[in-house]
Amino acid sequence: MSVIIHTRRAIAGAGLGFLSMLLFASIAVAQNPQIARVETISGQVFIQRAGAHVTVKLGDPLFEKDVIDTGADGAIGITFIDNTVMSAGPNSEVALEQYQFDSNNFSGSMLTDMRKGTISMVSGDIAKSSPAAMKVRTPAAILGVRGTHFVVEVPD
Amino acid sequence: MVFALGCAQRQALFVVLPNADGTSGAITVSDNSQKSILLDKPYAASEEKGGNVAPATTNAQEVQQVFGNALAAQPILPAHFRLYFERDTDTLTPESAQQYSAVFDDIKRRPVYQVEVIGYTDTLGTQAYNQQLSLKRAESIRDRLIHDGLSASSISVAGRGELDPAVPTAPQTSEPRNRRVEITVR
Repeated sequence: MSVIIHTRRAIAGAGLGFLSMLLFASIAVAQNPQIARVETISGQVFIQRAGAHVTVKLGDPLFEKDVIDTGADGAIGITFIDNTVMSAGPNSEVALEQYQFDSNNFSGSMLTDMRKGTISMVSGDIAKSSPAAMKVRTPAAILGVRGTHFVVEVPD
Repeated sequence: MVFALGCAQRQALFVVLPNADGTSGAITVSDNSQKSILLDKPYAASEEKGGNVAPATTNAQEVQQVFGNALAAQPILPAHFRLYFERDTDTLTPESAQQYSAVFDDIKRRPVYQVEVIGYTDTLGTQAYNQQLSLKRAESIRDRLIHDGLSASSISVAGRGELDPAVPTAPQTSEPRNRRVEITVR
């Protein structure tokens, strides 16, 4: 290893940089636990995650800060670890802006950033834990969720 | 998209939908001026125009037009089950043994699933013993689900002993309703 670093310093330096990026990425993942899972999916759906567009399939995990991005024929349904259920219709952009849940005392908080499109939500344990715990933000309003089933549209 | 209840300037639409039993929950919608509207009935709606929220009216047909695709993509809702055990055993009561198939069928109809099984006991016996018994109850259900064909990696178990009763009792009290597992399926 040391020989390689001596003889190919530039490449080794780049390699170390890459290694530290990998390390950073794995730390980031460790600090960022799964908050939801993909339960239904159809048409074109991307997740904006850490600056990249990733595709997801049935059963895949979702994380805080993920942004759901559906195309003209896209739709997705996800279930959060507190049993909140959310689905998005076509041409939607929805950020899982903030999410925290303690499964020992069933309390937590979540903020969903509804940028455009349509969503349907059925609240779970977080909304039960306190009246201010579950919020949905639209470009000009804030929704406080006391319970159960509602829909939000933000026209493009 | 322009529909009958809105106009081109509508910035957002919020609607409370009925639950399966016809009741509904409630949401509040607040704008920047701190004005807040409470929606607490099925199909109660508000909209946002020019940065302000105002009451709106809608109905099931219109909701289907605007939100049909989002509603069709909704996952099967999480389900919760309780199964009860004979005293000091991991053997289900006859009623719960019959109900087991309902639990299994609910899991099987889901394209993907995660199952949490948490065991509990009544307050007869020591806390340490009950901790073990509660875990044994959860594990017996897990083992049966796996035996019946479910994926082991999708089932988690825990035992909470006598510390989290469904019905609070005095110490050393036999209580059938506390001899249970709670199963969450999502």
